[in-house]
Amino acid sequence: MTTEEFTVCAGVALFVLMLPALYRVAVGPTSFDRLVAVNVIGTKTAVLLVIIGVLFNRVEMFVDFALTYALLNFVGSLAVARFLNRTKPMPEEKTSRGSSRKKGAKAS
Amino acid sequence: MRKLAVAVVVLTGGLLLYAATDFAAWGDPESPASDSDVSKHFIAETGVDTEVPNMVTAVLADYRGFDTMFETVVIFIAGIAILAILKLTGKDATKTPGKRKDEVDDAPDLIVTHTVRLLVPIIQLFAFYVLAHGHVSPGGGFQGGVIMGASFILVALAWDLPRAMDRLSVDRAILLAGVGILIYAGIGLLAMFLGGEFLDYAELSTIFPVSREMARYHAMLGVEIGVAFTVTTVMFAIYASLSSKGRLEGGL
Amino acid sequence: MSFLFLANAPVVDESVQAELSRLEICGMTLAGLGLLFFLGAAVGLFRFPDFYTRMHAAGKGDTLSSLLILLGFALITFDDFSALGWLLLLKIFGIVLFIMLTSPTSTHALMRAGFEDGIEPVTNNPKRKKKGGAKKK
Repeated sequence: MTTEEFTVCAGVALFVLMLPALYRVAVGPTSFDRLVAVNVIGTKTAVLLVIIGVLFNRVEMFVDFALTYALLNFVGSLAVARFLNRTKPMPEEKTSRGSSRKKGAKAS
Repeated sequence: MRKLAVAVVVLTGGLLLYAATDFAAWGDPESPASDSDVSKHFIAETGVDTEVPNMVTAVLADYRGFDTMFETVVIFIAGIAILAILKLTGKDATKTPGKRKDEVDDAPDLIVTHTVRLLVPIIQLFAFYVLAHGHVSPGGGFQGGVIMGASFILVALAWDLPRAMDRLSVDRAILLAGVGILIYAGIGLLAMFLGGEFLDYAELSTIFPVSREMARYHAMLGVEIGVAFTVTTVMFAIYASLSSKGRLEGGL
Repeated sequence: MSFLFLANAPVVDESVQAELSRLEICGMTLAGLGLLFFLGAAVGLFRFPDFYTRMHAAGKGDTLSSLLILLGFALITFDDFSALGWLLLLKIFGIVLFIMLTSPTSTHALMRAGFEDGIEPVTNNPKRKKKGGAKKK
């Protein structure tokens, strides 16, 4: 196995392993579940950018992209966490719905 | 309705992926985009004219400098418009529409503030690197400005808006945004007074001890600095007014 | 391969590059280990019952696997000892350091936001379930 084949395989594997996180974004019972999954996908996208750089033999260029992407991902998830912490639309309904779903998940 | 939305998204994504197979290969010299006369001219002449290795920056800041100047003006106007609209309409909205939780203390989180305290200088340094390295690698005024603005937003997120506004108040931000455009237009006007056309940077070599090519090279950096001023400050001003509904206090 | 736009990637002659250097083997091992950890994070994110356990899997597995994969590819690309090679290594270390700092922090911020929002953990303790996991102030 050459390094190039390995790099392609690693990139594809990274992408495939992002799919469970994407599932969590789609169905996650609470919005925080979705956020965690989005955060994971964002971090892994930064890693994927480096891998793409290795594939194209332009790592010195893609490293900057990856760093910027990781930075914006951090700012974004911090902002949403802060926003959800400070404002809370419809408090009773949300928690009861979240807990009932969770109970169902536990019973299954 | 949701299923319809998912179907539309999947369909669009599939179409885009299908279209991606028709792309020219990466860096293919035979592809239509790089086969035209304009591209050939830029590929052949950029290095000779301006000594800038990164052709994109040269096209953006030099050959199409007029366009980029008014892009910056568009950003400035967008910032002013958002501030003005929210200042007019936001005065009545005393409370944020989402019900605020009263039992949560607003004290800044210890872990987050310490991480941000560590990171902000590094991020600002990186922003300067992206700004100054725009000639060689991808980067430039817009990108550096966004990263710089993100560092101020990070301060506002980790502590609160007043703490960030101590560093960069919104009035000063708008002032600096104007200064950024003034830097850009000033370099263009200086070239005009020196006998060239507007934004003809090569004329700057008559007053600075550099060759005509290096004058264009350095003038591009000056122009990018102006863009970075505008983008940084407008980013922060937009964030500050949007996150506090135009009241510019409290906030996220 | 054409769909990966790799048309003009340098052609690797198999006969010449018969065996991998030690650095490349180390890098591949690290990157493979990182993928393994990310598999753990993905399975945890997919299967775990409540927010906190999912957060645990995602936060830890995600950070560690990012670090390992990036370090692995840093070693894979670091084939010559030129100034550019060192610079590249330094930059990738920068990303590693950045992710090492930011990923746990954002995990913590999200966890705290969720906790103060009153998400209840799944427990076997009936008392705790009745009272709810949310911090009352």
